[in-house]
Parts: sequence; C-alpha cells; structure tokens
Amino acid sequence: MLSAKDALELAAHAIAFTPADEAEALVSAEQNALTRFANNRINQNVAEQNVTLSVRAIVGRRVGVAGTDRMDERSIKACCDAAVAAARMAPEDPAFPGLPQATAAGAARPSDRAHAGGRGFDAETRAEAVAAMVDAARSHGLTAAGKVRSAVNVLAVANSQGIGAAGAISGIQATVLAAGAGTGWASFLGRDASGFDPAALGIQAADLAIRSANPGTLDAGTYPVVLAPEAVADILDFLAYTGFSAKAYAEERSFMSKHVGDELMSPLVTIFDDAPAPHALGMTFDYEGVPKKRVVLIENGVVRTPVTDSYWAVRTNTENTGHALPAPNQFGPMPLDLEMAAGDATGEELVARVKRGVYVTRFHYVNVEDPIRVTITGMTRDGTFLIEDGRLTRPLKNLRFTQSAIDALRSCTGVSSTRQFVGTEESATLVPTILCEEFAITGQTR
Amino acid sequence: MKEVIATALNAAQLAGASYADVRIVDISSESILVTGGRVEAIEQSSSFGMGVRALVNGAWGFAAASGVSASKASDLAKQAAAIARSSAIVQRGPLRLAELKPETGIWIGSALKDPFDVLLEDKLALLFAADEALRAQAQVSITKASCSCHRFHKWFGSTEGTLTEQSWTETGAGIEAYAVSGGEVVTRSYPNSFGGGWAQAGWEHVEGLGLAEEAPRVAQEAAALLSAAECPRGTCDLIIGGSQMALQVHESVGHPLELDRVLGEEAAFAGTSWVGLGDLGALHYGSDHMTVSADATIPGSLGTFGWDDEGVPAQRELLIDRGMLTGFLSSRETAPEIGRASNGCMRADGWNRIPLVRMTTVSLEPGTWDFDDLVADTEHGLYVETNNSWSIDDRRLNFQFGCEIGWEIENGKLGRMIKMPNYTGITPEFWASCDAVCSEKHWDVWGLANCGKGEPMQVAHVAHGAAPARFRNVAVGVGR
Repeated sequence: MLSAKDALELAAHAIAFTPADEAEALVSAEQNALTRFANNRINQNVAEQNVTLSVRAIVGRRVGVAGTDRMDERSIKACCDAAVAAARMAPEDPAFPGLPQATAAGAARPSDRAHAGGRGFDAETRAEAVAAMVDAARSHGLTAAGKVRSAVNVLAVANSQGIGAAGAISGIQATVLAAGAGTGWASFLGRDASGFDPAALGIQAADLAIRSANPGTLDAGTYPVVLAPEAVADILDFLAYTGFSAKAYAEERSFMSKHVGDELMSPLVTIFDDAPAPHALGMTFDYEGVPKKRVVLIENGVVRTPVTDSYWAVRTNTENTGHALPAPNQFGPMPLDLEMAAGDATGEELVARVKRGVYVTRFHYVNVEDPIRVTITGMTRDGTFLIEDGRLTRPLKNLRFTQSAIDALRSCTGVSSTRQFVGTEESATLVPTILCEEFAITGQTR
Repeated sequence: MKEVIATALNAAQLAGASYADVRIVDISSESILVTGGRVEAIEQSSSFGMGVRALVNGAWGFAAASGVSASKASDLAKQAAAIARSSAIVQRGPLRLAELKPETGIWIGSALKDPFDVLLEDKLALLFAADEALRAQAQVSITKASCSCHRFHKWFGSTEGTLTEQSWTETGAGIEAYAVSGGEVVTRSYPNSFGGGWAQAGWEHVEGLGLAEEAPRVAQEAAALLSAAECPRGTCDLIIGGSQMALQVHESVGHPLELDRVLGEEAAFAGTSWVGLGDLGALHYGSDHMTVSADATIPGSLGTFGWDDEGVPAQRELLIDRGMLTGFLSSRETAPEIGRASNGCMRADGWNRIPLVRMTTVSLEPGTWDFDDLVADTEHGLYVETNNSWSIDDRRLNFQFGCEIGWEIENGKLGRMIKMPNYTGITPEFWASCDAVCSEKHWDVWGLANCGKGEPMQVAHVAHGAAPARFRNVAVGVGR
C-alpha cells in the first residue's frame, strides 16, 4: 500500500502538473478488509486496495475539482487538466479566500496513527475473531451476526501555498448481534486490537439477547432514559450534521445560530472535537492540510463556537479550526473527532437513579425532522428495557422516539465516567452513557 | 477486457475456486452545484477497477483493486480464493447457487443526448436560471440548483461461461429553496428532495424537468411554509403524493422483500424483515388495491439493466398481487431457499463492492382514481408531498415519515397549507388501510440514487413507479 510519504510525493507531483493560479491535491489510499457474518457463519469476506487523487484548481477566484483512481501518469495529468478546465469555466466566486497557507495554518506535522496491529489483521485472524463471537452465541442457542473490519487509511494534502501534510490511521472494528427470542448487541472500535476481546463481546451480546426475550409494551409518553454510548453517539452525530458547522451557523440553519453564550443544555454536557488528543483515532489535519484544533462546541451546557475551514473562517470572521471536508462539499466544515466529556457516575448508578424509565442500548435508523430544534426520530433496538425503582425489570419491544436532541441534553442529569469509541476510525465519536430525565417515546413496534 | 477476465477466472480456478466471477467497472461522473448565485461545486471524477468473487470450499471471498491488468486480475483472483478459505473456517455447510444458463451479449441503456458532450457553460446557464428564479422570492435565503451525470461501463464474466458487457448513462437534477425566519427553517424541493429527479437517460432528462419554470412556485411555497399551520396531532385519512409514495414503497415494501434480509443475512446492520419465507403465497401484505411489481426492464428507469451482477437477465415479476405476497427480490444464493431461480436483483455499486440483493424498479401499480376525484371523495384528511425525513425499524414494521408540505382536506377540498407534516404506522396495518390508488395518468417512475445497504456501505440507484394513494385512519402530527 502507498505510504504517507509516497502519497505526499504524489500530491506534490499533481500540483506541479496543474497549470492554475493555485492548486491543491489530495491523495487518499486505503487498504480495507471486512469479514461479515450472519446465521453463525461468515457470509461476506472482502478486501480492497484503492488510491484516489482529487485536484482543486483555482484560476482567479474560479474553482474546479476533478478526481480519479487511475494512477498512471497520463491519467494524473488528465485529472489535473480537467480540474483546470472546470475552473476556467466556473464563474468567479468573490467570496473565495484562496487556499490556506502553510504559515498561516501552522506547519502540519507528519502523523502516523496507523498501528502495526491494524496492518496485520488478516483474513484468518478476522475469521478466528468471528468464530469466538459465534461460539458465544451458539453456546446459548442463539445466532450471531456482525462484522470484523481492519483498515489502514493514508491521506496526503499538498497545495501551491506550501502546505504539505501526510498521515496514516488504522482501525479495528467489530460488532456482534446475538439473536434468539430477543436480540443483544456489543461493539468495539480501536486503533488496533489491544482491548479487543471477541469472546467477551460475544458473551455481552448474548447476555443482552437472553435478557431481551419476550419483550413487553410501553405506552407512549415522556420518560427518563439511560442511553448507552451507541445511542449517545447518534445524538452527537446529528448535532454535528445539523448544527456544529460554521456553514449551517452562518446560514442560520443551526441551533447554535444566534445562541453563542446561551445555556441550552445541562451543565453536565460538554461536547468538543479533539483530533490532536493522543487517544483520538482520526487524522491530525483536515482535507485542506490544516492542523485540526481542539474546538469546544458546548461547554457545561453553554453554546460556544462551530468548527470552520478556510472558506467559512473568512465568511464568519473567525479562525480556521481545521475541519475542512474534501472539496467540494455541501456541508461545509465538520467535526470528525467528537467527544462528550465524561462524568463521575457508573452506568449502574445512572440506572439506579431512575424511578420508572427506559434503558436504551442503541438506536436504529435515526433521521432529522426539524434541523433547528434537532428534532430526531428513530427506533431503539437490541436491548431496550424498562427501569423500575433503579433496576432493569423487563425487556420492551423496540420503541419509536421523536425528540429534540437539545431538549434531551438539557434534561441530562447524569454522565458516566467511562466512555466508548463509536463509529469508524475516520469519524470516531467518544461518548459516555448518560441519563436524560425527559425523552419522548412516541410509538412502539409490533 | 475478455483476456483480463479469462486470466482472473483461470487463476481463481487454479487456486481452488469451484465458482468465480469478475467485474470490471469504469465510471465517469460530473456534478455541479449552484447555490445563492455562485458555483459551489464543479466536480469531475472517474473510477476504473476490478473485483473478483471466488467460492472455495463452499465459502465466499472477494478482492478488488483500482486499475485493470492481467497481472492484477491474477493477483486478485488468488487473494479472493485465499480469503474464501478463511471464510470456510466459520461455515455451516457449503452454499449452493441457483442454476443459471450462461449468458453472453452487450446491453446499452438509452440516452439521446450524451450529458458529457453538453458544454459546461450550457449546464451552468440552466442551473443559474433556476437559482435566480428561486432567489427572486425575498423570504427564501438559501437556494440550490444542481445536476449530475454518470456514465457506467461494466464487463462481467463467470467460470460458468457468462460474458456480458453493459453501458448506460444516468442524469439527475433538482432545485431546493430554504426559507429561514424566527429560528425556523422550511424547505421546498423539485422534482424531489435529496438529489432531485433521476433517470437512466441523457441530458434530455434534465432539460425536460423545467427547473427554471418550476422555481417560482417552489420558492413561493417555501416562503408560504414559514407562516403555514403546524400539523395537527391525531388520526385522519391521508393522501400521499407520488414521490413520497415511491419512498413509502421503497422502505415498507422493497426492503422487507429483499430475500437476504428475510434470511437474516443483513441482521446486524440494516436489519431483518417482518416477512418470513413461509409467508410466500399466504400473507395478505395489504389491501386488494395493492399490487407491486419488480421490473428491471422499464426504459429510462434507474432500476433497469441487461443483466444483474451475477449475470441473471433482467426481468419483471409481481411481488404482491392484489394484496397477496407472491415473490421476493432474490439472488442465486438466496433463491433456492424459496425453490425458485434468481429473479436478478444482485447489484454492486462499483468494482470494489460485492453484489447484494437490491431493488430494481419496485412499483405500486396504478389504480383507477383521478387525483381530483380522490380528494373530492375524502371528507376529512391530509394531502402530503415530498419527503423530508424517513425512519423505519429493523424489521420494517414501525415507520415514520416527514414531508416538506401538506394541505388539509375538508369536505373534499384542499384547504390550508401545513408545514412539515409527519405520519406514522405499522407496515401491514398501513397497507391494509389503502383504499385507493390514482391512475396511470398520475403514475411516474421516481429514481432514487441514495439507497444505502451493506458493509462497507453501498449506495444503489433504484426506482419506484408510484401514483398518489389514500390510506384510512393514519396517525399524523407525531411529537407536535
């Protein structure tokens, strides 16, 4: 696979090929393998190697982008020419500030977060991990489904203004669903396999599945909920999608618009994006090659600032925080290394505080109904329980919720001290278990 | 390409594969987005690579890489076979594939005007005209006009002797108007939300949409939504517009009838299905107004092709006949579970993905009603248009959809405008309450270019024929 150094050389090569006033080249290389299983057998097993080049050419204030995965010299030149041709045809964008400069952005340090353990996780190792998870389910008369994935991603960004950043990240990810009369779930995400115990994951999922058997009903209404990390990650991801971008903020489509400094959430809620943190899994620079800064988005419930890129930093007259996505994109800058600060409770203590409420292992198929209020709807799955007098007393059929994420986090009264990575290494969210006093359950499946 | 394919297949067999297939895919794409009077994106891209799928000891392996050459073909075949051997570590027994007569041939989709031959300035002129017309409405603060096109060229060969070549073009375009005021955002789109209107066609499809002509109405409706009434909470008769019906069919009929989901093969991610194998020929899925077909032969539809990605010829089959379940969407691996041959639904979204069971053109067949007559026949209800939000549970039972716009119906007449109405239901109860479907005059094929499934995620381009339809006693205004 292409090394970070080779990728940066390729990006610089493409810049030299691009006859434009300014040029940026983004080289992305990946080596991914994924083993899926269902019905206690491996049903899909895939491996992929890919290299892509994306070139952004600027002529005056005209911008064009072209991309290719053909890496021969002729194709690379054709890609560069296509970007320039597109730029020449584009109308002027008076607001385009020019590509970021190395001096202004600070020199991006080479980063290698790709762990050797991630590189060596081959098909046989993945199959053995699957076998351990399947055995845990089968020994309880359950069927298991899920995946074991290993990935190494290389990214290099160079531009004609002197930026040259390159890095590698790796990830090991596993999920397991155990199914019988009920279903249960467990997952793992890490830079490498340290801490990955497939048998323990299988047992965790099987235990939830057994406890989820013969679920009951629950009337619609507003309940206290204890949300496990995967459910909390969904909430943070939708806050990011609808509200944490400077573009949404500037266009007044964000809940943050006109509310900087306002306390919209509980003092227990602090949300930030922190790619520089040593434990973070993602790249340390963005898709413009600018080093990512730690950005506090919500501090003790108070709205702080959205993330920016070179374009939206100028538009909003704020600093560039280094959160560009690959150009062009409709979303503007986006935080990809979100965290919610840990609290001081255990998950069990959060459950113990609830007189009558609901425990949610994870959500399914969440979507936004109202972006300003971040009203989201979705279902629970794979371990939903009624909490009575501080104990999980009986499983529930999967519930539908229709709830403002902001209002839910305003009612947050407890946050766990332990946190878990959810997502993928390219966009990992580090989240605790939380207790929200008010959460609208609006329906239930059959 | 034949030599590369033959090299891969030979290498796979030498590596112990009892079956192998290879796909070479070449995709060219262009996307343009104009927003607020400026160009936000002009992007061109190309992708060219190959993937080899091998069956060894009754288990699958797949390997893919960008670039195409005989040496790469050989390497990928060996890698796929090695991965398949690892898969065999966790197996229940060898899988079997439904019989298939080897196919050979060339298929070319219809497109009158090659979108890659249309000058960029002409595309920009069309989009700027639409964007300008949207911006003429003062209360609209964010506008978008976009178009995209893709050209696909695909070669497929298998160790059973199938060798096919297919090429086609897809185009899509749309406009969106956002009105923002008082901490509220409302949206209106045309001809559909989330990517506009898509077809397997040339530039003539984009020209035929009349984006600039529709823009004033779209902008006016977006502005009017700011002061429209909230959706009342309760139960009423619901008439669902064509594009939203397409998504309703997609989520609550198409996905639950994918046979891989029914068999639990997607359990951990997308989920399973409330429908079981034993329901075939026995389950009343909905009322007798509900007839649903799966058709990969409709000219101009995103769900049309010559052969699927296992080399099975395109075909049409009824999935539901007057309410009764009669078929599933299947593959060569899943079809034997219902004692049938594959009906050709396996598709991958590129050279680097394995094929999965995907929808083709899954359509609610037209009924007999004229739309105006249907409204006139509805005493108290709601008419809703254009999807805004969608969610459904992992067995495809409990769903909730939000729409951009609605109108109350009182005494057979459309009344006041409703902002962002939503509705919810349970799939079989909902479809049992369908008592009217509009006629062919109101029936359109809606292309959906954003159907996600599988891990790694694949985005399929599918389609649904649909006309407005009425459902009795539906819960609306959830969470309002």
